[in-house]
Amino acid sequence: MVKEMLTGNYAAAWGARLSEVDYVPAFPITPQTEIIETLSQWINDGEMNAKFTNMDSEHSMITAAGTAAATGARVFSATSSQGLLYGYEMLYNVTGWRVPLVLVNVSRGLSAPITLEPDHNDILSTRDSGFIQIHAETCQEVLDTILMAYRIAEDERVLLPVLINMDGFYLSFTREPVEIPCKDAVSRFLPEYNPKHAFFKASKPMSQGVAVLGGSAYSYFKYQMHLASLNVLTVHDEVAGEFKRIFGRSYSATEAFKIDDAEYVIIMSNSFTIKGKAAVNKFREKGLKAGLLRLRLIRPFPSTELKAFLRGKKAVAVIDQNISPGSGGILFKDVTTALYHDPDRPERILSFIGGLGGKDIGHAEFKHIVEEMEKSIETGIVPETQLLYTKNDLEHINNLLNIAGNPLEGLEN
Amino acid sequence: MIKRVRFHGRGGQGMKTASRIVGTASFLEEFFVQDCPLYGAERRGAPMVAFTRLSKEPIFERGIITSPDINMIADETLLGDKSANVFQGTWEGTITIVNTHYPASHVRNVYGVVGEIVTLDITEIALNVIGESVLSSTAAAVVCKLTGMITESSLEKAVIKELSSINLKKELIEKNLQAALTCFDRIPETHPHYFEPIKEDKMDEIVKLEYADPRIGTPSVYAKGNTRLKKTGNWRLFRPVIDHEKCSRCRTCFVYCPHSCISIDEGDYPQIDYENCKGCLTCFYECPKKVISKDHEVRAW
Amino acid sequence: MSMKNAVYTKFKDISREEHISPGTALCTGCGGLLALRLAYKVLGENVVIVNAAGCFTLLSVYPYNPFSSSWMYTAMASAPAGAQGIRDALDILIKKGKLKSEENLKVVVLTGDGAANDIGLQSTSAAIHRGLDFHYFCYDNEAYSNTGFQMSSATPYGSRTATSLPGEINPQGTVQRKKDLFEIWRAHKPPYLATVSPSHPVDLSNKFEKASKFEGPKLFIALSPCPPGWSFGASNSVNIARLAVQTGIWPLKEAVYGEVKHTVIPKFKPVEKYLRTQNRYNHLFNPVKQVDVIDNIKKDVEQYWERYLDS
Repeated sequence: MVKEMLTGNYAAAWGARLSEVDYVPAFPITPQTEIIETLSQWINDGEMNAKFTNMDSEHSMITAAGTAAATGARVFSATSSQGLLYGYEMLYNVTGWRVPLVLVNVSRGLSAPITLEPDHNDILSTRDSGFIQIHAETCQEVLDTILMAYRIAEDERVLLPVLINMDGFYLSFTREPVEIPCKDAVSRFLPEYNPKHAFFKASKPMSQGVAVLGGSAYSYFKYQMHLASLNVLTVHDEVAGEFKRIFGRSYSATEAFKIDDAEYVIIMSNSFTIKGKAAVNKFREKGLKAGLLRLRLIRPFPSTELKAFLRGKKAVAVIDQNISPGSGGILFKDVTTALYHDPDRPERILSFIGGLGGKDIGHAEFKHIVEEMEKSIETGIVPETQLLYTKNDLEHINNLLNIAGNPLEGLEN
Repeated sequence: MIKRVRFHGRGGQGMKTASRIVGTASFLEEFFVQDCPLYGAERRGAPMVAFTRLSKEPIFERGIITSPDINMIADETLLGDKSANVFQGTWEGTITIVNTHYPASHVRNVYGVVGEIVTLDITEIALNVIGESVLSSTAAAVVCKLTGMITESSLEKAVIKELSSINLKKELIEKNLQAALTCFDRIPETHPHYFEPIKEDKMDEIVKLEYADPRIGTPSVYAKGNTRLKKTGNWRLFRPVIDHEKCSRCRTCFVYCPHSCISIDEGDYPQIDYENCKGCLTCFYECPKKVISKDHEVRAW
Repeated sequence: MSMKNAVYTKFKDISREEHISPGTALCTGCGGLLALRLAYKVLGENVVIVNAAGCFTLLSVYPYNPFSSSWMYTAMASAPAGAQGIRDALDILIKKGKLKSEENLKVVVLTGDGAANDIGLQSTSAAIHRGLDFHYFCYDNEAYSNTGFQMSSATPYGSRTATSLPGEINPQGTVQRKKDLFEIWRAHKPPYLATVSPSHPVDLSNKFEKASKFEGPKLFIALSPCPPGWSFGASNSVNIARLAVQTGIWPLKEAVYGEVKHTVIPKFKPVEKYLRTQNRYNHLFNPVKQVDVIDNIKKDVEQYWERYLDS
């Protein structure tokens, strides 16, 4: 075991290396590229015994990843944003094949307009594909989650692929100390992949991914994917327990921060959570009982755990770093659905959109969120979904509009 | 009153068009109406179904007709075909019409049909009048008459409209029309004993699906070459027959069979797998010695 | 022109073993299926087919499977990428000792002309460029037949499809020339590349046999007469394929590392004879003969062969 300064991308590459993956099909896209560059170099230098192949698109890359996994190999790859969407068709195929590969997505806002910094519309667009989804907050968590992901994915009760999400720039290019577990410990934790259900070999011919016509057969196989995904709620906790025993670090489906006596709870995901934790600390200094929940396991959605954490709270605010135009925040719906039937559910659940395209969420925004929660308790009125957007932001965009040659300027005269 | 019509035929026989002619004719009568074909994986020659619903009141149904009021079996070889399941959901009120030269009593004796049964050799009429065994307009005409709700003039207009839309030549449409009207006349006036279905509701039950071992829960096939079980021999209209006495054992028929249905036996003679031969007749045309004949497929009895 | 040292010289040389069982859902008399069946006899049993969406998707519909070997359905655009994944996985698993070398398989991509020429061209080009060791079998029925016969870029000039119907504006039907996939592939200089026809089983078998000696991409375009799409009787596939070769419309050729050789020099039967066998060309003869269009088709064939016979 060593501790080193690693970017999120480098930590991801270490995760794949320690998992002794057999195969990495790759296609570059910012801000993910460092992952595949690193793996390419390690494989080329003989430090990793794996096959690396440069593919011609994410669609091809995910296809190759899926068929290699269907052949019996342990497969890793990474993508981001437009790339994830370009390969979208194949995500549904890979889950339907029930093959346990691990794919890292480095979140980045979606085009158009094209941008570089993160939000989660890319990863959340795949939430119905059947992929298990785990969203990481730190570089260490990225590495650890990859090791855990193979254990979960390859479990006979699951056999679904995993998408691990990290924020572009905030994690991908940010270095922080990361503990790199030693190889022996990892091999104790993660045994070799030995598929019983999907492989290709001369002695045992098999047809995989065949067409299924007729609703009763189709429903059966689709629903099996749902049941497999639900099994992750149990398997994740078992694997996390084992992980803690060997490596000492502990992960749960949802991370609770100062939640026990909290009256006001903010729900967030990914790296921006740290900003929320800072805000909670500040509120507590001022005597406000604030807390935070970080959604880590997004699929399957840990409804029961969430309910238990939020039972009896005064108000909850969900910050969605994504937007479903015409509807609002995506995770807000999952949270409210989970809570609806709980007799002890929080009195108010509020919805906020923030951090789109990597826009900062500052203390003014968090203050506003808490004030809105308090106001809602007082008045009994729950506001519509709000965008976290400040005066400074507005001034900034106005400047830009003018430089772009605002065609409306002067029209009023 | 709603009439649910189910058409059974083989891909290429014109049952989709038949369902549409009945649909359009009903539309012209200003009824509420739906028509649709059911597409499976199978192709030309394979059993297929199409549906038409017509009603004087709005239709609160959609999709497959599991229990028809009028059941058109346009291909008699389907009668004995378990996979085609042509009698599915027939009941006392169903009128089944079979395209055959056998009398209705004969069909009933052999197949124990429930409900009314009518037979008519539609193929013969089509062959005589149109010159080929295309059954769209003729089968539609029979059904129109059996509904007791569609006039000859609506049928006529519907035949012209539907056949024009599939780019049939004018003279062929004329012939179809003539054949259709012949069929319309040959079916006696509407049967008087229509009654609304009083069917025992056999309610299905909801079950809870459990997680299955992934070897079962994944759509993979482990069996080798089990398409054989599908027995596609029922697609065949003509049966190739090899005269082994004259066969030169050149293997041309074996080499050119697209469907792997001709094998070479121990005596080096070709043998046809009639359970699966689809009757494409490539062997018949390619045989250099012309020792393969084609026989009209043996009927369902 | 016969191949030197040919393994196959007569029908009796063709294996009696079948690798595709009867009973598939494919159309009666499918020319592409015949070509695949003949190819399979040379490829043998230790094969995994990677299928792109198309007519042949229906070869394996749950719970049925016609093969004695393995099959993987991918998607329309990316079967060659799927083949890459399987090849790479087999290689690394064997290298790491996780799989015995006798478990190795040949990887065979199966696509229609739509996938090969249009939506899957990129992933095909990339697989050839990477030097992937695989077979590529394109059944060319010259349209999107599985969806009811719409135009693909392999659809020949002057033919009718459901989306290039002859009409007032374009009486000839399809306006564009058929894309020259052979030349596109040849530009990649793969070790082996050939056209085949189900009418010429000996030529087809020899080409698959010869290809097996090369490592890397081994590519085949099989003429695949389509009874419902080309609109002819199901018994006529072989005859029409033969006419395509004999008229010079479908050149039988191969290219080794880009060097082209024709394996059959046609008798140059009249092109019209071929066109008249299929109703997809009916509008060129009825109600009035479109002499200019027919002449254009003839000219294309003549020019092709002049170029070759001169060189």
